[in-house]
Amino acid sequence: MGKQSKTPLLQVEKLVKSFGGLMALFGVNFEIHPGEIFSVIGPNGSGKTTLFNIITGFLKANSGKVTFMGKDITGLPPHQICRQGIARIFQLVKPFHQLTTLQNVMVGRAYGKDPATNLRKSKEEVVEILNFVGLGNKIEVVASQLTMAERKRLELARALAAHPQLLLLDELMAGLNSAETEIAMELVKKIRGSGITVMMVEHIMKAVLGISDRIMALNIGEKIAEGLPKDVVKNQLVIEAYLGK
Amino acid sequence: MSSHRKNIFLGLGIAILLALVPLLTKRNDIINIMVLIFLYICLAQSWNILAGYTGQVSLGHAAFFGLGAITTRILWVGGYPFLMAFTTGGLVAVVFALIVGHPALRLRGIYFAIGTLGLAQILKITVGNILPTVADLPGDYIATYNLIPRYYLFLILAVIMVVVVYLVGHSKLGLGMVAVREDEEAAEASGVNPFRQKMISLAISSFFAGLAGGAFAFYQVSYYHDLPFSPTWTFDALLITFVGGVGTIVGPIIGAFFYAIFREFFARAFPELHVFIFGTLFILVVLLLPGGLVEAVSRIRRLIRAKKTDTGFS
Ligand SMILES: Nc1ncnc2c1ncn2[C@@H]1O[C@H](COP(=O)(O)OP(=O)(O)O)[C@@H](O)[C@H]1O
Ligand SMILES: [Mg+2]
Repeated sequence: MGKQSKTPLLQVEKLVKSFGGLMALFGVNFEIHPGEIFSVIGPNGSGKTTLFNIITGFLKANSGKVTFMGKDITGLPPHQICRQGIARIFQLVKPFHQLTTLQNVMVGRAYGKDPATNLRKSKEEVVEILNFVGLGNKIEVVASQLTMAERKRLELARALAAHPQLLLLDELMAGLNSAETEIAMELVKKIRGSGITVMMVEHIMKAVLGISDRIMALNIGEKIAEGLPKDVVKNQLVIEAYLGK
Repeated sequence: MSSHRKNIFLGLGIAILLALVPLLTKRNDIINIMVLIFLYICLAQSWNILAGYTGQVSLGHAAFFGLGAITTRILWVGGYPFLMAFTTGGLVAVVFALIVGHPALRLRGIYFAIGTLGLAQILKITVGNILPTVADLPGDYIATYNLIPRYYLFLILAVIMVVVVYLVGHSKLGLGMVAVREDEEAAEASGVNPFRQKMISLAISSFFAGLAGGAFAFYQVSYYHDLPFSPTWTFDALLITFVGGVGTIVGPIIGAFFYAIFREFFARAFPELHVFIFGTLFILVVLLLPGGLVEAVSRIRRLIRAKKTDTGFS
């Protein structure tokens, strides 16, 4: 990474978040560099989704700072964060049920970064994005009729349509079979190849190890390891967190 | 021909036919029922853009209708030009709506519904106390009263309302509204500012409800000042929209047509029976046909088409 690592795309400093008495994040620090695939792992309830929600403005941190492309974005509302260039998918997918896949993705195109004002002119690009995620044959299908795997892809397409520099993927591959997982991994690699930086949460270790440049491990709201995949999997704390002592 | 063009020509054709009605008949009862239909179209369509498109159910629509009516009536009878009084009525409704909406629309869930209902009731009671009198038209206004300009005012208002909802429904603004209705968080994550969409939707909704109230004040010779604030107007709008097809452009038009006809039909023999019938219809629609009459029509169409294809292939 060398040269790139001097100017992080995203910088998270001393993030603290509690829900009542429960500490969900406990002073988490990390940086993401342009062009990398950065994965966050950790057992259920370790604070991964909470971290995503704070970065994207859906939750307010008790303290700490989030900087994106040199700008302090801490506490901005979600729609503004999206327009700055951070898009996300939800762990529990949230399609616009009664809208067609085309309309779903058009929302991202019309309201995300570089928002389109003329919907008709953007149709071509939206169709292209749908083709890219493999929904090209479902353009006029309403989202409620899609399968789970298709909904995940729709979620991805909608996020891509917002023209993000940073894409947050919360368990994109959860609930997919192994063939679908392969396809999803290829997609993520292609997305990174197109110049979009990816931060992802994933439980499927094969996927995480296969495509990540760096990995951060959380346990009960604390960072316990960070580094190259081959090093993180050998880390004693990580092994204990996953397997128990 | 694109479906866009087709819709526009169809709408234009119907509007022109309706514009000819006063030339074809001199029967006041027909003109009056048409006025009622146009009034209901405007009332229901203005409710529909907020509830059906943006997902924000207002139970205080009567407040906007009433504010438009009272403002228009007072200014107009006070000697101001009607069009000025009429526009002011719409704007007063918008100002009130945005003052109420600003806090209420930031909250999710049923707060907006409850808040608007409460405020409409407070307004109704306040108006009833301050102006307990009948709003009679002065003698010279009655002397020059003519039904035909009223007919055209309502027709133009209904046409503009439908056109506005059509244009919004096919625009970026409308897409954002529907996204907010479908899933507010997903909309936000895609860059939509839900609060802004709701406020714009509320402004359009209350403006046209206010104008409908103003047209009512222009049309009705004599009524109690608090009548346009009655919750009936809200529930008329709601029933018409749901029975016709919520979140569609044709739904409120079909609903308004049926509602007005039912109302006229039963008015003499069984007053208020139409409310009962429509209430029942409403429950049936919600339970069996969430898409309303519009959905029923398209289902029947699909059935017919399926039949045709069957025979075509056999
Ligand atoms: N909105 C919330 N209210 C209360 N507790 C929450 C909320 N969101 C998450 N938590 C709690 O915070 C902890 C971290 O949750 P989460 O970030 O969803 O974990 P992960 O995504 O790593 O599985 C869990 O104990 C969870 O129960
Ligand atoms: Mg999670």
